[in-house]
Amino acid sequence: MRSSHTRHREKTAVLFLLLSLCAVGLIGRLAYLMLHRAEYYSQMAEDLHQRERTIKAARGNIVDAKGKVIATNRTVCTISVIYNQVKDREEVIRILCEELDMAEADVRKKVEKRSSREIIRTNVDKETGDRIRNRKLAGVKVDEDYKRYYPYDSLASKVLGFTGGDNQGIIGLEVEYEPYLKGINGTILTMTDAAGVEIDNAFEDRIEPVSGNDLHISLDVNIQQYAEQAAYETMERKGARQVSVIVMNPKNGEIMAMANVPEFNLNEPFTLNTEAPAGISSKEKQELLNQMWRNPAINDTYEPGSTFKIITAAAGLEAGVVKLEDTFSCPGFRVVEDRKIRCHKVGGHGGETFLQGAMNSCNPVFIDVGQRLGIDNYYRYFEQFGLRKKTGIDLPGEAATIMHRKENMGLVELATVSFGQSFQITPIQLITTASSIINGGRRVTPHFGVKVTNGDKTVVHRFSYPEGDEILSEETSAQMRFVLEQVVAEGSGNKAKLSGYRIGGKTATSEKLPRSLKKYISSFIGFAPADDPQVIALITIDEPQGVYYGGTIAAPVIADIFKNILPYLGIEETEEESTSEPGNGS
Amino acid sequence: MAKKKKPKRFYDYSLLFCIIFLTAFGLLMIYSASSYMAQLKYDGNAGYFMMRQLVIASAGLVFALIISKMDYHWYARFAVFAYVLSYVLMIAVSLFGREVNGKKRWLGIGALSFQPTEFVKIALIVLLAAVIVQMGNKVNTWKGMLFVFGLAFPIGVIVGANNLSSGIIILGIAFVMLYVACKKHMFFYGCGAAAVVAIITAGPLATFLEKINLLQPYQLSRIHVWQNPEAYAREGGYQVLQGLYAIGSGGLFGKGLGESIQKMGFVPEAQNDMIFSIICEELGLFGAVSVILIFLFMIYRFMLIAQNAPDLFGTMLVVGVMGHIAIQVILNIAVVTNTIPNTGITLPFISYGGTSVLFLMLEMGMVLSVSNQIKLEK
Repeated sequence: MRSSHTRHREKTAVLFLLLSLCAVGLIGRLAYLMLHRAEYYSQMAEDLHQRERTIKAARGNIVDAKGKVIATNRTVCTISVIYNQVKDREEVIRILCEELDMAEADVRKKVEKRSSREIIRTNVDKETGDRIRNRKLAGVKVDEDYKRYYPYDSLASKVLGFTGGDNQGIIGLEVEYEPYLKGINGTILTMTDAAGVEIDNAFEDRIEPVSGNDLHISLDVNIQQYAEQAAYETMERKGARQVSVIVMNPKNGEIMAMANVPEFNLNEPFTLNTEAPAGISSKEKQELLNQMWRNPAINDTYEPGSTFKIITAAAGLEAGVVKLEDTFSCPGFRVVEDRKIRCHKVGGHGGETFLQGAMNSCNPVFIDVGQRLGIDNYYRYFEQFGLRKKTGIDLPGEAATIMHRKENMGLVELATVSFGQSFQITPIQLITTASSIINGGRRVTPHFGVKVTNGDKTVVHRFSYPEGDEILSEETSAQMRFVLEQVVAEGSGNKAKLSGYRIGGKTATSEKLPRSLKKYISSFIGFAPADDPQVIALITIDEPQGVYYGGTIAAPVIADIFKNILPYLGIEETEEESTSEPGNGS
Repeated sequence: MAKKKKPKRFYDYSLLFCIIFLTAFGLLMIYSASSYMAQLKYDGNAGYFMMRQLVIASAGLVFALIISKMDYHWYARFAVFAYVLSYVLMIAVSLFGREVNGKKRWLGIGALSFQPTEFVKIALIVLLAAVIVQMGNKVNTWKGMLFVFGLAFPIGVIVGANNLSSGIIILGIAFVMLYVACKKHMFFYGCGAAAVVAIITAGPLATFLEKINLLQPYQLSRIHVWQNPEAYAREGGYQVLQGLYAIGSGGLFGKGLGESIQKMGFVPEAQNDMIFSIICEELGLFGAVSVILIFLFMIYRFMLIAQNAPDLFGTMLVVGVMGHIAIQVILNIAVVTNTIPNTGITLPFISYGGTSVLFLMLEMGMVLSVSNQIKLEK
């Protein structure tokens, strides 16, 4: 008995020791979890508990060339009600109805709904929001928020673009420069329980938002306004579908204006600018909105027609296959292989020099130049001038050139391409290529973006557009300036004449496809001063009614625009007549 | 050992203090762990769980004090009856039991309901103690051991069928009592070593057992959850992870009493099995180790009482209770720290649970009663 008692004592002691050992093991395990792994697990736990509430960052302004703000933010308020905190429900309903001008039933439904936070109305203007806040109603929250605001409503709408609900750019420059404009949203981190309910008095972490930077663009509000006004007048006078005007600096590609009328109101981007047919489905409406938002100057291609003769002429002169004084004869048509291609002048221009052919915009002359170049050469120049590539403009959705594949190109195709038919380019491509031809032969990149500044007005980024390839010799460029000046001075572009200024340019009247519809795009591309171009402008009039010749209806509009903007740009009138020496033709 | 008139008797006040302290601490932690969810669930009554536990624990303590003043030999008479009653209750619960979370564990009589498994534990301790005393030296034979084990095994299996962890605890109690009672050593150490090896090699072992169809796929997935809760969050790792988040975010000194975030619905029913993780979160490693040390001190008191008990019956009773408390504490903490696969085990005195705290108090009464029979040397 004694021995067994001892044994029990011993075994109990061993048992205790073994249990202590287990306890030590568990303490070790705990120490590992709570010291070594503490950071890992507490981070995971924090991620689980914290709820982020976003504080919207103010989006950067868009500023024009003269420092005018054309896209900015307006403070708006969101009014919401927290059910548990409302004391006098009736009073809250009454005051909200009164201030927000809402039906009582709607407000009552929301105020009496048992939810953690019920939004009564968003986008309430600041004054109303402040008034409601000053009433100090328990349970009514007034949160300030930013809403994009465009002070000029519809100005350059298709260029600027607008923003969506999350303050993100949807079209135009707002999309293109999103990273600069957007800023960094701030956050309020609050603790929540497992059901996601915020815990009162819990530690709140606040990360302040960083405002977006301001984007400075080359667009000039005054020029844009004038271009839009001229475009609207033309559209109305000619009953056109739409009119686009691009005004650009041919030396560096800075775009001063890009009007696409009808424009739309950027502050109401989801309201159609035309009368919508009654009872359209939301899908159809979206389709119409997409059409309204399109920027035809860069998103759509067209057959450039006679304005493209600039390119054919430049290629011919550059290659040396034609000189200004070379003579041609126009019987009113030209037969290429088995096809008879007509000149716009039915009776023909008769005998004429190349220069006269250009001034007359004579198709057979340019067909001949094209044929002299041959398919290979023509195609080479087409590529060399950058026409195959996109211009690289800083707007989204630039359309690519639609051109024959070289192996599919026969002499007939070559002939039609020579005077601007059977292929399509965008208006921005045309004006960019024309700029490059007249500016001394350097390809430019059309653009709006100039620089980005932060809140302190210090420049944080300056966009650079490296000078492009030399696509043409300076001599050919000078010859082209001369030729195009003659077109305006005495040729088909004479309606673009502007006393006191040397204007160069080229008209076009493109037949839209299918040709049987007899619909036209009339256009004119002009630049000034002709000897040292500082501004180039292109107008395209889509489907004008009545007289549709570019030389008659498009050229005067550019003259009118130039008349107003040249003095504004500081380009002085010269009294001398335009007689600059043509370049040496050889 | 001649009897003397009015011998000076021992009473283990340290143990009593320990019990009261742990229970009070448990109430505090139950309040802390449950108040947030309780006020959501019970219409603002933050103290719902704490108050219920307080009532039962207080009643239990009164019972314990009464029992502690009785002669513990008295209830040896009920050993067989209680043992048979265990079977009756377990069969009843599997037939008429109230189902909670898909398991029939509750037996309801009118408005009262309790978990019979808690009764089974105490009944088995009393029965085995009585049987071992009866067997005398026969307990040292293989046959005797088999007999003792044979008494525990069927009831353990019945309990385990519905509540695996309680089954393990019941068999564990029998194992510990047998170990102390009999002469053999190596057999027990061998069993212990085997269990440790099984835990260490659980992963491959479980895969192997599942391959030969000894383990159900759902049991294998429990092993997977245990070994990598992040990867098996949806299969049940979520709960395990929530516990680990709570423990991990405690650090050295914790967030402070009442500051747990995990109790806000992240750790499910934080006042129950997982309460230790909330202790870790709020009181840190310091608090957690303190709790373990208090339990260790309690077990130390059991050891002293067992060693000095006036007879073998007293020793075996205390050893049984010691095994019970120790196994439950160790397994609970091991589960909460994801040291072993997840299985529902409450932390004695601290976890919320009326039946558990009531029968624990009765066991404490028994131990105190044994301590009270110890005659102090003059």
